[in-house]
Parts: sequence; structure tokens; C-alpha cells
Amino acid sequence: MRVELKGITKRFGSFTANDQINLVVEPGEIHCLLGENGAGKSTLMNVLFGLLRAEEGEILIDGKPVNFANSGEAVRSGIGMVHQHFMLVPVFTAAENVVLGFEPTKSFNRLDHKTANAQIHELSQKFGLDVDPDAVVENLSVGLQQRVEILKALSHDAELLILDEPTAVLTPQEIEALMEIMRSLAKDGKSILFITHKLKEVRAVADVITVIRQGRVIDSVRPTETEGQLASLMVGREVNLTVQKEATQLGDTVLELRDVVVRDDRGLAVVNGVSLDVRAGEIVALAGVQGNGQTELAEAISGLRSVESGSITLRGQNITNLSPREILDAGLGHVPEDRQRDGLVLSMSVADNLVLNTPRRAPFARRGTRNLSAVASNATELVQRFDIRTSSVESTASSLSGGNQQKVIVARELSRPLTCFMASQPTRGLDVGSIEYVHRQIVNQRNEGLGVFIISSELDEVVALGDRIAVMFAGKITGIVDPSASREDIGLLMAGATMVSHD
Amino acid sequence: MTAIADVFPSVVPVPEVREPGEGRRRIIGALTIVLGLFIIFVFGFGSVSGSHSVVTFNPINTSSGAPWGLSDLTVLTRWWNVVLGLIALAVGVETWLRRPAGALARFGVGGVMFFLALLLWSVRQPGPAPIGNINLTSVLVNSSAVIMVLIYGSLSGVLCERSGVVNIAIEGQFIGGAVAGAMVDSVTNSFWLAALVGILVGGLVGWLLALLAVRYVADQIIVGVVIVTLMGSISSYLNIQVLAPYPNLNIGNQPSNVAIPLLYKIPVIGPTLFDENMFFYVAIALVALISFGLFRTRWGLRVRSVGEHPKAAESVGISVARVRYTTVILGGAVAGLGGVAFIATQGQFQPGITSGYGYIALAAMIFGKWKPSGAVVASIIFGLSAYMVQNLQNSNVPISTEFLTMFPYLVTIAVVAGLIGRVRPPAADGVPYKRD
Ligand SMILES: Nc1ncnc2c1ncn2[C@@H]1O[C@H](COP(=O)(O)OP(=O)(O)OP(=O)(O)O)[C@@H](O)[C@H]1O
Ligand SMILES: [Mg+2]
Repeated sequence: MRVELKGITKRFGSFTANDQINLVVEPGEIHCLLGENGAGKSTLMNVLFGLLRAEEGEILIDGKPVNFANSGEAVRSGIGMVHQHFMLVPVFTAAENVVLGFEPTKSFNRLDHKTANAQIHELSQKFGLDVDPDAVVENLSVGLQQRVEILKALSHDAELLILDEPTAVLTPQEIEALMEIMRSLAKDGKSILFITHKLKEVRAVADVITVIRQGRVIDSVRPTETEGQLASLMVGREVNLTVQKEATQLGDTVLELRDVVVRDDRGLAVVNGVSLDVRAGEIVALAGVQGNGQTELAEAISGLRSVESGSITLRGQNITNLSPREILDAGLGHVPEDRQRDGLVLSMSVADNLVLNTPRRAPFARRGTRNLSAVASNATELVQRFDIRTSSVESTASSLSGGNQQKVIVARELSRPLTCFMASQPTRGLDVGSIEYVHRQIVNQRNEGLGVFIISSELDEVVALGDRIAVMFAGKITGIVDPSASREDIGLLMAGATMVSHD
Repeated sequence: MTAIADVFPSVVPVPEVREPGEGRRRIIGALTIVLGLFIIFVFGFGSVSGSHSVVTFNPINTSSGAPWGLSDLTVLTRWWNVVLGLIALAVGVETWLRRPAGALARFGVGGVMFFLALLLWSVRQPGPAPIGNINLTSVLVNSSAVIMVLIYGSLSGVLCERSGVVNIAIEGQFIGGAVAGAMVDSVTNSFWLAALVGILVGGLVGWLLALLAVRYVADQIIVGVVIVTLMGSISSYLNIQVLAPYPNLNIGNQPSNVAIPLLYKIPVIGPTLFDENMFFYVAIALVALISFGLFRTRWGLRVRSVGEHPKAAESVGISVARVRYTTVILGGAVAGLGGVAFIATQGQFQPGITSGYGYIALAAMIFGKWKPSGAVVASIIFGLSAYMVQNLQNSNVPISTEFLTMFPYLVTIAVVAGLIGRVRPPAADGVPYKRD
């Protein structure tokens, strides 16, 4: 399928998210869209998929203009889309989610579960994306949900596949497999529009790269460009892709975990006796494949999930099973893994979200009354400092692009005095420029004597940031290594090998 | 192509499973034990030694022929209630110790024991003289009228809320159906036509709700309350200006019962379930139909997707607005039919005839976990307790009516507080959806 976007302009109120965008995707082509957070990539894809209506411009498919009234029509014309924020119904099974809107039926409009399951099974086989059709989506890890979302897009034999940051939560192996799928689809003549912030991936699969900045197409380049060149094209300045870390003085232990056991919603002991220390002035990075208990561990530390046994201590104060409020007050900064569910109140303004953790404190409130001018000036300052792209600090958090939502959370958590800073996937969905900035901030916190605890499934990030790397597998810490350790060793630990101690 | 599972076979481990909800089952067990002890000491030892209760089973007036007769049962109140209490106690202890999956059903057994003991206790007579008695069949037959309208109301709620629209206007749809039903039946002398018009009026009220809530994205609770007020005022107006001056528009016919051959002859159950008017049978059929529709069909999957995650539904080409419109109109129609059912069981229309059952139906819907089958169970519990509340005041029961009236709401609070486990409304319930 040949898709041509001509002069697409999409405005939200007075804000122009897409400005006269022209783009051509040839059959059999893997076309990467590269751009900063808030550049307008998702918006453009939603326009193409019939979820948003553009103010100007037209879409041509194989030369014929189309005008989708809704996404159903887009799907019927052969477009499949993996959404940045999954479009999955949490209480439905994987199979129900995949067939929704195109359900196979028997007599009396009855759902044909057997055919649906068979379809999923066949797709899983064909693409090597294993998913249990009967699993309820909300019980799946984010990585598995991503697989379901991908299967859903693949299920209609789409001629054009839109992939909006599908790799943000996948393991390196899954990413490799997905890129393999993309290549083979392209070989069959299908077209692919691929959005990612990981330049390595772009260079690995792209045939053509289109760079978008502030809603405009800046350039179209070949994957032979270096990562540095791509990064500066995207951000408009030089980007430092490596993290500089100065040596620091180690202080006292600030976060101490002792034999922590935590159960998940199903009652499984997914954190099964974790002990770990984070000292002031160091960054401990917790590596591991998603679904090995990291999520629950982070929730337990921040008070969002109860600890069954063991203890958690924050600079000498026992914070085990305290309320999130008390733990925040004890000096823990926390960037949660699921930003839309746990990190933001999407319907509230950016300004209010930026003071969510200290709404009752001076200067944001005095004697029970909110001080709105302080809230506003705090917002203006943080939006500037963290380069949060928003039309105004009064816009709702839901109107921000994914990466900018992430920046709001990081900005909020780093904007008050802390003892320990804990972040799950702190740079998920961020562009290279923002990653550089956030990493710099994290290192600065460490230099200023904070204990930093990073949980990331991104090996690059773990190695770049960590002063020590702990690896988690099956609810246990399988080893603690130096960042200089070989990736193979870390990989082995992630797959469950235990470390042989040398002393 | 390499499968991910091949590359990284055992990376996400599966820890051993512990059954969820065990703590909750223990609580249910404890509650059942409390129920048993209450029965033993209040209804059992609370009755004077030697007092009797007489239970009769034969309906007083039957329209379609009497069931096979059962002779009266005269029992020693104290010891019968102690036995009933011991049964509840035993079930409770078993639940507490074993924490079985069917904990809630066991609590139900305790509830039935409570109900029977309460009946016996309420008609106890000192000495053996069989003066007062309780007619179990009548209790059930008379409660079935309330149970039926609660089923209509809660089904309406289930439909609407499954699509993400809170229908707090059920009471209004009841009123509309009742007024229209009374008038149409009086004029045409046909309950079928009355039912049809009731459906139309209920659907129209549903449409109004949908228009304001879906099209104009207004707050659903406020719109619902406004609609109830509106319908209440319209019905008062009609009552004063039309029904009162023209009594032959409000005759108060009641449809005759249709007995189901043979089945109606079963004692107690027969007159309750198989010798009812058509509205009762339709209610039962609707439960099955809506249950089937919501959970077995493509239509139901789409309705539920819209109630859970409208954006996801939109992204696969399902029109959120259209689904919500049709489901809310359908829900209104069901409640409208329920309004006619009021007339069918109570005769003439009078203002206040619906006496807040539209709201109790909402509670029943929550109790029933937004499922038609659950709504039926809840309607039975609420219907029975509503009937008991009305009738206990006539017998020698030293409980104030005001206190008894609280019962359905106490039950709802207990349920929402976790007796039933995670009671979770559809995720987008009550949340207006606006396309970008
Ligand atoms: N519904 C909306 N209302 C107002 N503004 C919006 C809305 N949706 C998106 N925007 C704005 O449009 C811009 C582009 O957003 P978009 O989601 O397309 O960015 P993106 O390129 O996908 O970024 P990211 O890499 O962070 O996902 C953002 O500045 C965002 O704030
Ligand atoms: Mg995006």
C-alpha cells in the first residue's frame, strides 16, 4: 500500500500539533518517524488512523483520496495501529481484545470464542508472539499487554502497519523479534510506519527516516546517518548520548531493604526475600526482565502495596507499610512505572500535577487555602527547566504527549528536598534530548548526596547510570555487579543464573 | 522467524499460586457465625419458653386453582429457632475453618435461616393456642410483586451502566411507565398495549437521558435526578388534571394470572413462581435474555467495551455515542415496562406508587455486581426485606419500623464494604466521553 499524506494540519485550539505535514510511505518500506516529545508524531498517526480529524490536508491511499469517518474504516482499508497508550480493555481477555470490533460470530449474534482463540493462536504462531488468548489483560505485565496490542494490529492482515513506540516496554529479545516481524512484513510488500525514540532501532530497521520537530517535517534522511547526527537533527542541537559521572563520596545507607516479601494481585509472592542497600551518593540500578517482581517491589517501597514480611527503612526510619503520604513525607521521591495510572491525574492541569506530592505544604498552601500564584509560578519554572512542551500550564495533563507527561512526573519528584529518589523506567518514552537532561538530573541528585534507586529494564540505561547494578529474577536478587561487568554476565543474571561469590 | 519464547524461554517465572480472597472468606464465615448466634439467642431464647408459632402454606385466595395442600405446621418457637440458628452456626464455622470457594452461598444459607427464624419469631404466641399464624406462601407471593419491579429496575441499571451511563432516572422511567400504563389499560382494556406504551414512554425517558448525557455531555447524576423530578411533576399534574376528573382513565384493572400447568400445583413454590401475571414471566425472560446478550453476543462485548474503555472501542471503529444511545434507550424501555408492572400488581395509579424502588433497584444492581443474575438475587433479598419491613409492624415485633427500613441499605453498605469481594463498576461508568 502506498500512503501519501499531503499538507496535514491538525490544531488543538490555538495550538498547532501538525503543520502542513507531507509524507509518503511506499509499499514494502519501513518508514521511521523521529521527533522530540510533543513533536506531533502520535497526533499525525491518529489522524491517519481516523481517530482524529485534521483541519487541513488530505490522505491518499494508492493515489485515491480517503476520508475515514472512524478507525473502523481505516482498519477495513487495511491500516493497523499499535497505540502508544494501549487501546486494550483491561477486564477483557486477550482474545476478546484482539477481535473487538471484528468479532467472529455464530447464530444469534453469539461470539465465536473458538474461532477467536484459534485466530489468536495462529497469529501467535505466525509471528512468534506468545499470548494466552484467555488471559485477562489487566493481569498481564506491560510487556505482555504490548504483545496483545501488537497482535491486535496484525490481526487484520494490515497493508500499512503503524507502530507508535511499540518497543518502549519490550525486552531486548522481544524487540529483536518485533524488528524481525517488521522486516518480513516489509518483504511481503506491506508498509510500516514506525515510531521510536531508540536510535539504535531506527538505524537497524529503517529504510527512510522522517524527522519531525514542532509539528513540521524537518528532514528526510537515510539510516546511514550516525546516532549523533540523528539526535541533533531531532532536537536541533548537539546531544550528549553518554552519561558523565564524577566520582563521589559514599555516605550512610539511606534505603535499606531486608528480606522483603510482597504479593501481587493474584496472591503470588512475586517479591520473595529481597535485601538491598542504597547509600547516599550512589545510584543503584535494578536490572531485570519485566515481570520479575520489580513493579511490585517499587510499589511496596512507595507504600502503594503492602509488604507481607521483611522491612524497608529510609534513613533509619522504618517505613514498612506506612501510607504513601507518610513515605513521601519521609523523603522518598518516586517516579512510578505506569505514568498514566499512578503518576498523574490526567484530568487535572499540568500546574496541579506538578504539586501533587506537596499540595498542603507552604508555599503551595497556607492555613488550608491553596496559594494559586505559587502553584502557577512553580509550574512555569519547572516547565521551563525540564522543557515540558505544553500549550500552557493550565492544560490538562491528558493533552500532553506521552514523553511530556513523563517529564511532568520527573520534574515534580525532583523539585523538593529528598532523602532517596526512586524511579521506575524514568526515561520510558523520552526523546534523546530529554533522556540526556533527566539522566543529568539524576546524576546531580546523586552528587548532592542523595541515594538513587533506579529500576529499569533498559540495559543501556542501567549500565550508564548505575554505580552498582542489582539484577532481579523471579522475585530475588540474583546478583550485584559493577557497571563494568560484561553485558553477557548481566544477561545471565537476568535469566536466572546466580552469582558465584569471589571472596 | 524466531519466537520470543525460544530466545528467552524461562525469563518470566511462574511462582506458586495462593488462592485469592481467603481473608474475605474468613470474614464471611465469621458473619455467618454471628448470624447463627443472633438467631439462637434473640429469636430462640428470646422467645418465651413454651410459645408456639403456626405456619400455614395454603394460599388464601388463588385465581387459578389451589396447589396441592400442605397441613399447617405448629412448632415450638424457641427450639425450632435454636435449631435454625445451629444450622447457620455450623455452616459459619465450616466456612471460617475451611474457607471454601462457595463461601457466599453458605452465607446465603445463614440468611435463609435468619429469614425463617424471623418469621417464626414474629408470629409466636404464648401457649399452644393457634391464634395467629404466618402464611409462608402469602409472604412469598406478596413479596414477588416487589421483587419483580426491582428486577426490571436493576436490569435497566445493568444495561445502562454496562455502557458507561449511570441511569439514576430509573425511578422516573418507572413513573412514566406507570402513568402511561394505567391510562392505556383503562382505555383499551389491554395490558399488552399498556406494556407496549410503557416501553415506549420508558424508552423516551431513556432517550432524554442519553441526549443530555451523551450528546450534551452533561453530568449524568444531575441529569438523572432532574429527570426523576420532572417525571414526578408530570405525573402529579396528570393525576390532578386528568386522572382525578376522569376516573375511567384510571380504572385499576389487573391482569389475571397465568398458571403454568402442573408446576403451579407445587406447594409454596407453585403459587410464587408459576402462578403469576405475564409481567413476572417477562421479567424472568428478560434476565436470561439480557444476561445472554451482554455476555455471549457481539453486541454485549461492544456494549461492555464502551463502558470499560470507550477510547479503545472508538479505536476499533465502535461508535461510543451510538452504543450508549441505544443501550440507554433500551434500559429506559425495560424500566418503563417495570412501571407498567406496578400497575399490574397494585391497580390504580397514584402519585408515589413507585415509592423509591427505582433507587433500591440501583442498590440491587450494585449488590448484583452489575450482572443480571446477581441483580435477581439482590432483588429477592431487597424485595423480601421490603415486604418484611411493611408487614412486621403489624405483628408483635419490638423493632421500630424506621430501623427495619434501614435494612436494605445496611446490606448495600456491607456489600460495598467488601462482603462480596471486589465490587467493581465498569471503569468508564458515569464518565462522559467526548471525541477529540
Ligand atoms: N487532545 C489534545 N488537546 C490538546 N493538545 C494536545 C492533544 N493531544 C496532543 N496535544 C498536543 O499536541 C502535541 C503533539 O502531541 P503528540 O502526542 O502527537 O506528540 P508525540 O510526537 O507523539 O510525542 P511523544 O514522543 O512524547 O509521544 C503535544 O504538544 C500535545 O501537548
Ligand atoms: Mg507519541
